[in-house]
Amino acid sequence: MRALLLSPELFLAEGGIARIMRLYLKALSTITGSAGRVDSIVLNDHPGYDQRLARYTSEPLGEHIGCARHKVRFMAATFRLARTTDILICGHLHHLALAWLAKIFNPRLKYYLVAHGIEVWRPYTWLEQRALLGAQRVFCVSEYTRRQLLRFHPALAPTRLVVVPNTLDPYLVPNRAAAIPAPSLVGPRILTVSRLLSTDTYKGVDTMIEALPLVRRTLPLAQLRIVGTGDDLPRLKKIVQQLGLANAVHFTGAITDEALQMEYANCELFALPSRKEGFGLVFLEAMTYGKPCLGARAGAVAEVINDSVGQLISYGDIPNLAAGVIDLIRHPRDPVAIRHHVDTFAFPVFTQRLAAALA
Amino acid sequence: MFSPDERFSLIFNGTIYNYRELQAGLAARGWIFQTQGDTEVLLAAYALDGAACLSTLRGMFAFAIWDAREQILFAARDSFGIKPLYYAQLPNGGLAFASELNALLVSGQVPREIDPLSVSEYLAWFSVPAPRTIYRGITNLPPGHWLKVNAEGRCQTAAWDQLPASSGSAPIASNYHDFVHGLRYQLDDTIRAHRVADVPVGAFLSGGLDSTAIVGLMVKSGATQLKTFSLFFNQAEFSEQTSARLAATAFGTEHHEELITGARVATDLPRILASFDQPTGDGINTYYASQMARQGGVTVALSGLGGDELFGGYPSFRDLPRLHRLLPAWRRVPRKLRAALINQLRARPSTRARKLADFLAHARDLHELASLQRRVLPETARLALLAPDARAQARRLGPNHPMLDDFTSELMGADPFQIISAWELRTYLANVLLRDSDVFSLTHSLELRVPFVDRKLLTWLWAQPTHFKYNARWPKKALADATADLIPAAIRARPKQGFTLPFSRWLRAELRPFLHETFSPASLAACPWLDPITTAQVWTDYQRQKDDRAWSRVWTLAVLINFANRRSTP
Repeated sequence: MRALLLSPELFLAEGGIARIMRLYLKALSTITGSAGRVDSIVLNDHPGYDQRLARYTSEPLGEHIGCARHKVRFMAATFRLARTTDILICGHLHHLALAWLAKIFNPRLKYYLVAHGIEVWRPYTWLEQRALLGAQRVFCVSEYTRRQLLRFHPALAPTRLVVVPNTLDPYLVPNRAAAIPAPSLVGPRILTVSRLLSTDTYKGVDTMIEALPLVRRTLPLAQLRIVGTGDDLPRLKKIVQQLGLANAVHFTGAITDEALQMEYANCELFALPSRKEGFGLVFLEAMTYGKPCLGARAGAVAEVINDSVGQLISYGDIPNLAAGVIDLIRHPRDPVAIRHHVDTFAFPVFTQRLAAALA
Repeated sequence: MFSPDERFSLIFNGTIYNYRELQAGLAARGWIFQTQGDTEVLLAAYALDGAACLSTLRGMFAFAIWDAREQILFAARDSFGIKPLYYAQLPNGGLAFASELNALLVSGQVPREIDPLSVSEYLAWFSVPAPRTIYRGITNLPPGHWLKVNAEGRCQTAAWDQLPASSGSAPIASNYHDFVHGLRYQLDDTIRAHRVADVPVGAFLSGGLDSTAIVGLMVKSGATQLKTFSLFFNQAEFSEQTSARLAATAFGTEHHEELITGARVATDLPRILASFDQPTGDGINTYYASQMARQGGVTVALSGLGGDELFGGYPSFRDLPRLHRLLPAWRRVPRKLRAALINQLRARPSTRARKLADFLAHARDLHELASLQRRVLPETARLALLAPDARAQARRLGPNHPMLDDFTSELMGADPFQIISAWELRTYLANVLLRDSDVFSLTHSLELRVPFVDRKLLTWLWAQPTHFKYNARWPKKALADATADLIPAAIRARPKQGFTLPFSRWLRAELRPFLHETFSPASLAACPWLDPITTAQVWTDYQRQKDDRAWSRVWTLAVLINFANRRSTP
């Protein structure tokens, strides 16, 4: 089988979509096996071979084309490779019309879409609707995303929408044998990892900061560590200043994978009270370190966090959020049970689910 | 009530109408009944079937069962939320629950702190939608949900009844004649079930199609010496006195009617407002009708609530699909032009224009249209009324209904009529009409029953083709046709007239002193989550302008302010 993967980006930035598309590449390489071939076209990445590509592909290596945000090059490469491809997987709804057009030139082509989250929770253009109807399957990262697709495109056949939950990068999963660090002596550390963009204020990082004074009434030494960067940083820093939390909130900025692993390992609780998570990969990442998670009862988060691994609160409800944080720090969940929960999202399980959905 | 082995203990509020048929089945499975009431039937049903028993219950209920062996508290609420259930998790890990908010407050375990987020939701929706309540820390279990609490105090809730799932095996009518015939059978059946009582059952009779149909069906099913009750007003355009009399004469009921004047409401207002366990913009009509029924010697009464939601009686059934069809064209308008048009609409003083701006700015599909259409205040007006902190929180939550995600999931595959019907059932009916009915009927110790709000009837109706159920030119034609032999022709032909009290007049006259005091600076000082200047301006504007439609906004605010003043002193 010959497969073609279209991605917005793989290595240019560390976004959730880039991370999961790398794993689609890796899983497809496994599924197609040595007799098959996987080609990859990436809209935003730079041309040339990225050292990290070796982790996510296997022999024989197909073409890997970075288009450096050049849309015409991206389209041309897609049409060229799609002519000899059996299956095409679109990593973003924006690319689906290309797949639909490519099928005109290669009628035996089957194309698929990976629906991640908010990018598909909206009404569709005429072209997107047509392209969605022509898709062999849509791989939805969550049941919530699947329902949103059906909501905004009721003509889609429900059986074509398959839930393939996101998975964790096996290269980033910590060693299970490693001991879980003892609680911090400085005070409980609450960790948040998120893009800090003004367009993504729904992530609820501001609500987490606003809840901290209430948390510190009960846990005076509680600290909040915020990993990530973006143009919303000045606003968030201003809130910290206004609340007099300069000694309690730490912005780490963008950090390396190794530093992020240390952050996960050293926190008592991971919290991202977001209003619109399509899946919430960061929760799974925190859970691999046995850390309890706190999220908002919104989007697909309830599919990742249950009572045995954390707690859900109402989005935007600051006292409720603070109470949830205090409860999880005072009554931590069993780290072994938390790690066990992550196993249902392990990479081999993901590969099996994808193979079944492609069959 | 305790089970014989004392494993289960039950607290129950409500009535199970089909308890006799359930009792026979449970007895056949070995349960030895000690009583002839519905409470023991519920206990036995849970003991034998656990949560699965919920789908067998026909009635209105909220109950909690403690399972001493499993150390689990299980509580549940009926499909539509006819009976309420509130709960609060206590700091010591315990749980307090009750069917009235005041009961939780007097326990002394729950702080009586008004939640600014709930205030912002109240200003949007006329009431505080479940699962919130006006008090921080107290949760309203949503309709059709259960709650499980383990020994450590951890709560888990889930829906046990969802609308599309409940339409499973109902036979579908192949033509309109069969549909009407089937509907009549279902109506007769629900009336029979709701008439089961060991005391005389009366009925509210406003003179509209719904209540007239209920009374007609009761008479047809054998009710004799039926007492009916209606309110009327001096303002002829609000009064349905003639229709109510006509129906009562046609059915030969013992009809009671009472004149409600602004002066009387002004006198009774302290008592009425004291019976609110959380603010609501509605309910005064139920307060008086219930009082009258109780004084008329009736302890159980039937009401026509739910007819508009089931049979498409509201204008939303006609208007929203039209707006929905225009949305794709609207989205093709360039973004900047759309923003400019929306800003133009928002700048207008008219509430209609600002509500349209909300639709255009925030509605992407029929669910969001249905969600927004029940707003009492447009988003800009709501935000302007809130103090800065509360405003920031409200802005964060956005203008849509808090249950939007849940309903869109629940209503997957539903057609436009079903979507609007479900939104009306799940929001306005559940959070406003049924909640108020429960509070105000119980204020007068009256058991109010709502035969249209029946799971069996809804299950059957949900499965029927929409073109049989709804006719845009003649709303509620299906109900009128199914009861054509009962309803006087003059009532069948009458256009819909909502059961609205003449508040628009009373606010400018008899209730003016109350409002003057309510909107005073001293009174507004008890409302730190409101912007006092903008809030007072609402009342000032109402007095100056002649737009009677603004009364509900004035009244909604006045109730909230009064509530906060009363709550600030224990």
